[in-house]
Amino acid sequence: MIRYFLITCTAVWLVAVLAFTCRPSEPPADLRYVNPSGIHTLDPARMSWTQDFRVALNIWEGLTTWDPNTLAPLPAASDQPPQVSADGSIYSFALRRNGRWSNGDPVTAVDFARGWRRAIEPGTAADYAFLITDHIRGAAEYVARRHQAVTALTALKRLADGWDLTPQRACDLTTSSLLLLLQTMGVHCPAANGDDEGSCRSVQECLTAAEVDWRALHERALRDHAASLDSMFAGVGIEVRGDWELVIHLTQPCPYLPDLLALPVFLPLHESIERLRVREGDVPLSPEGLVIYDPQWTKPDYHRADYPGLTTNGPYRLDSWVFKQRARMVVNAYHRGAGEISCRAVDMLVMENVSAALMAYEAGDVDFLPAMDVPYDHEIARLAQSGRRLDFHLCQVSATYFLNFNCVSDTVRGRINPFRDARVRKAFARSIDKRAIVEQVLRRGDRVAESFVPADVMPGYDPPNGLSSDAAEARRLLADAGYSDGSVTPTVDFLYLPADERVAQALARRWRETLGVRVELRSMESKTFAEDIADHRFMIARGNWYADYNDPTTYLNCLTTGNGNNDSGYANPEFDRLLMEANAAANPSTRMALLAKAERMIVQDDVPIWPLLHYALPVAIKPHVQGLHPNARLWFPFRHVTVRR
Amino acid sequence: MIRWLIRRLWLGLVTVFCVYTLTFLMVIAVPGNPFQQGQHRVAAETEMALRARYHMDDNWLYYWEFLRGAARLDFGPTFMYADWTCNQIIGSALPVSVLIGILAMLTAVMIGVPLGVWAAQHKNTWIDISCLALVLVGISLPTFVTGTSLIVLFCVSWKLLPIGGWGGVSHLVLPVITLALPFTAYIARLTRSGMFDVLSQDFVRTAFAKGLAPRRVVWHHALKPALLPVVGYLGPATAQALTGSFVVEKVFGVPGIGQHFVNAALNRDAGLMLGAVLVFSTLLVLFNMLADAAYTLIDPRIRQAL
Amino acid sequence: MPDRVSQLGGRGREPRRNRAVAASVTFLALLTALSAAALPFASDWHDVQSLDRAVRHPPSFQPVVSPEVFDRAERRPGEARSEERAPHGLKNIAFHLTSLLGHDDLGRSLMFRLLPAYLISAGIGLAAAGIAMVVGVLWGMTAGLIGGRTDLIMMRVVDVLYGLPYILMVILLRVGLTPPLSTLFHGNSPIANVVVLFVAIGSVSWLTMARVVRGQVLSLKESGFVESARVSGASTWRILRRHVLPNLVATSLTYALLVVPQAILQESFLSYLGIGIQQPTPSLGRLAADGVEAVNTFVGFWWLLVFPCGLLVITLLALNIVGDALREWFDPKSRAATLL
Repeated sequence: MIRYFLITCTAVWLVAVLAFTCRPSEPPADLRYVNPSGIHTLDPARMSWTQDFRVALNIWEGLTTWDPNTLAPLPAASDQPPQVSADGSIYSFALRRNGRWSNGDPVTAVDFARGWRRAIEPGTAADYAFLITDHIRGAAEYVARRHQAVTALTALKRLADGWDLTPQRACDLTTSSLLLLLQTMGVHCPAANGDDEGSCRSVQECLTAAEVDWRALHERALRDHAASLDSMFAGVGIEVRGDWELVIHLTQPCPYLPDLLALPVFLPLHESIERLRVREGDVPLSPEGLVIYDPQWTKPDYHRADYPGLTTNGPYRLDSWVFKQRARMVVNAYHRGAGEISCRAVDMLVMENVSAALMAYEAGDVDFLPAMDVPYDHEIARLAQSGRRLDFHLCQVSATYFLNFNCVSDTVRGRINPFRDARVRKAFARSIDKRAIVEQVLRRGDRVAESFVPADVMPGYDPPNGLSSDAAEARRLLADAGYSDGSVTPTVDFLYLPADERVAQALARRWRETLGVRVELRSMESKTFAEDIADHRFMIARGNWYADYNDPTTYLNCLTTGNGNNDSGYANPEFDRLLMEANAAANPSTRMALLAKAERMIVQDDVPIWPLLHYALPVAIKPHVQGLHPNARLWFPFRHVTVRR
Repeated sequence: MIRWLIRRLWLGLVTVFCVYTLTFLMVIAVPGNPFQQGQHRVAAETEMALRARYHMDDNWLYYWEFLRGAARLDFGPTFMYADWTCNQIIGSALPVSVLIGILAMLTAVMIGVPLGVWAAQHKNTWIDISCLALVLVGISLPTFVTGTSLIVLFCVSWKLLPIGGWGGVSHLVLPVITLALPFTAYIARLTRSGMFDVLSQDFVRTAFAKGLAPRRVVWHHALKPALLPVVGYLGPATAQALTGSFVVEKVFGVPGIGQHFVNAALNRDAGLMLGAVLVFSTLLVLFNMLADAAYTLIDPRIRQAL
Repeated sequence: MPDRVSQLGGRGREPRRNRAVAASVTFLALLTALSAAALPFASDWHDVQSLDRAVRHPPSFQPVVSPEVFDRAERRPGEARSEERAPHGLKNIAFHLTSLLGHDDLGRSLMFRLLPAYLISAGIGLAAAGIAMVVGVLWGMTAGLIGGRTDLIMMRVVDVLYGLPYILMVILLRVGLTPPLSTLFHGNSPIANVVVLFVAIGSVSWLTMARVVRGQVLSLKESGFVESARVSGASTWRILRRHVLPNLVATSLTYALLVVPQAILQESFLSYLGIGIQQPTPSLGRLAADGVEAVNTFVGFWWLLVFPCGLLVITLLALNIVGDALREWFDPKSRAATLL
């Protein structure tokens, strides 16, 4: 009996192992690189991670792209640089006639309009939709009207499902289109002011008395709204003239538009995505009024409803994507340059443990490491800088690591917040020795940041230098503000992520020694950190910002009043005014001067944030791989790569 | 027997339901916005509409809708990896964890039992002592320590096996060995002590006196009752192997379900968490039931009582 | 053949085992004493010391930090560095031992992180064992004594809790309980962290104990012990106290002792997964996990790996040896299926 048991065990064991190994293996790719965290999403409108950009911008092609060496914008899907109107607010792009999707279809202007329209739709919840709504005329209004309709339709759906008619829901319903619709059904109710409880209640009573058939109303409202979508979108400044011309009407001149258009949110979409649109019956909207698609449209092997799989227009196409394991990109045979591309297949491997990825790189199983976030990064930086490892490169990235001061709360977690006073902020800022942090604590090869916007990155922009580091002056400022050492020393709260431990401890020590201030270190995991930041439950917090595009406004816009990324709560009408003036300025040098003046308010006068350093991120490129150049955006197009083994 | 089975199934169902409820309560109690996965904030209107769409604006509704979906084996969307469904993620990751866990258990049994028997036969000799020492070391070594040492040995120094990844036997060897080690130790020790007791009993002495071949006595007559505690241990052990594989997965970079548990909780991804919990606890309940059934079948006293 | 049979059941390797047990107990006692003595010098381990010289310094017999940094003199802001005050007495000894095990990547002395780490891990283990004993014994005893429907329900609860994927529970407990506990402990999140781990690990370690105790109580009932006490007029409480409990103490103590190394092991797993003890609080698991994660082919920080992992393994070994010996002594017939 035991014998049988043991034999069965062995048999099961062998079968499991064999079944596991018997799968066809693919030929090895030309270039293999590691993406430690895997692809978060391949939806170009929704993506916000650099790793996702890397894949998307190789398999898709936008109107423009970046030069691999200089990062200057180059025409890609467009034929030549755009024609700009005299006042700089109308850009006209002529598309290449030989642009092709991966199934052979030509790339036309309507594909771009489709992609951009989807990007601003509420249902997509795109991180970078603000780039479209801020710049393209009529987009913000379209989004606002869509939001209104979605709110109303969601409320209607709930009512149709049998939920209660609360005053809030009644208020959500009173958009003008719905009121008109109600009138046609014989129901006359007043519009409500959303902030006024009383008016909401009166609308609620009116609607309850009218005994509306919610289901019918919902269906009609949905249908009417769907019918009006195209006419609503006609007001947006994305004009399709024929197949080969795309005209963009801007809200104001935007000299960096070509740089912007290379971002994934501006990528085109193939028409086959419409087959996966979520419909309510024959209405091309979800019951809540959202324009959404089956999220699996990004898969190359998804074929529900005759969907041909992910179709893209770049030099590569996505051949396979195994979740959290690997993805393979192969050359798009229909691409105009397909014949000249030397690197025919690229494998993206997912290895969460970066040390293991590095070991695989050393062993020759991996050719390229675009990210080396390891605990011994100082050692990597040393090898790169000393020249002992010529295959390690430090990319001076356009990104800033800074401290956020809470400029808005009176009390934080029961203690008085001293940072509403600019002198306290300046005191804390000036007591920091940035060079010591960069050279002794982190030792990663970062650059000391004297300004918020990195120097020598934005063409034509010379950022102002912030206040110098001066411990005596810092103490004087603190005393001026009423906190002379020895008497009332504040206990200050410093919020950060676990990865910032070294810096946090160094800063805490520095402030204690220089200013005599006790610092409470609070390390939180990222979700709790985000909550505390959003609720301003901090006095000092860490912050970082990666440049989205090559213009100082990508940094400075974060500090405008009410901006979603304005963690410090800085609100200065003068600053906002300067930025608006700069955006309206026609002369580029005037514009840059105004932006520098605005930045001076940040790093010299008000100091709501204090920049510490600009990141230097290491990458590893094997010597037999040519065509990959370390650059400030970590932009690595694979079409220029040659692999010599 | 059938009655016992039905009772266990019913109990298992209750267990899974309780686990689901407990997890759900914790999910809604923990603060954090599942819709904000990137660094930019989601618009309030969009969030409200998405909540309505995924039935997440009312907790009761979400509770029942999720269960209803789960009954259809549809665990809904995940917000962390928007391009995939929970089904796909769990479906790709769970078999990996289960494979490693099951193989580790089988290896542990196939190596541990003979080892224990061998040690018991040679009591108080160097074989026994070294076996005991090995056992103690085996249960005192954390798997991430053994795993990392094995990587350094086999992958870096001797370059025999690949470092990370998944797809072939060479990727299976080290994770299975690492996970099997503590269980081999436990099983060897259980077998050894079981064999001691059995070998000192009368019926064994009788068998030896009757002149039966010693190997037959040991392996055929004595081993069956000696294995009782081992079989009893297999149930909770398999459960431990399944959860223990999380650490092994992290050490070797294997795409199992452990990372999804941790990441889903840290990112407040309710759908993936609840789906993973449901599937995982169902598996645990099933394995416990199987092990208990095996135990019951083997132990004639209990079988009689049934 | 008969020779072998007669050997079985003999006393066997007692002397060797006794030596091993004695060695383990001595080791544990010494380590505990040493760690307790080292506590004052490690009390602000989250307060980093020197940043330049000591960062990632390999072990050396000479202390790498300056005496005044070690002395942690509170300098007033703006004051020049005072003359090096030589620390005296115990502090002097501690100062000379500072760099013996090397320094970590924040310049902290590994010696004065490892010793408190041992205390914290042992504390977690003991707390888990304590919870296991208290809750498990009470639960099992009540279920066994009362019997009937209550027994059924109580044991079903144990079965249900057995089915929980406990790692998920730990994650959720940690994520959910840490903020309110932090406010409870006045913003002291290390304590909140450790308490959450107590609760989480303790909440799964009492299950086996409950089962074992219930089994014991049931067999006690059957043996007529309890019945005769009842017949002689003793109240339930008296039965509990006088007759049942003493018999349980031995077994429960043994299993409780076995919970300690398991809890330490679980804590090390959780720390490795990132959900156990968080920085900067040290624990054996945390330091071992950090050491493992720093393994690379470029620069060897072997002391960050060898010393924590070594101490962890040796501690677990010692605890297992002692627990094992106790188990065999108290309960030699135990079916060690409860080795969990």
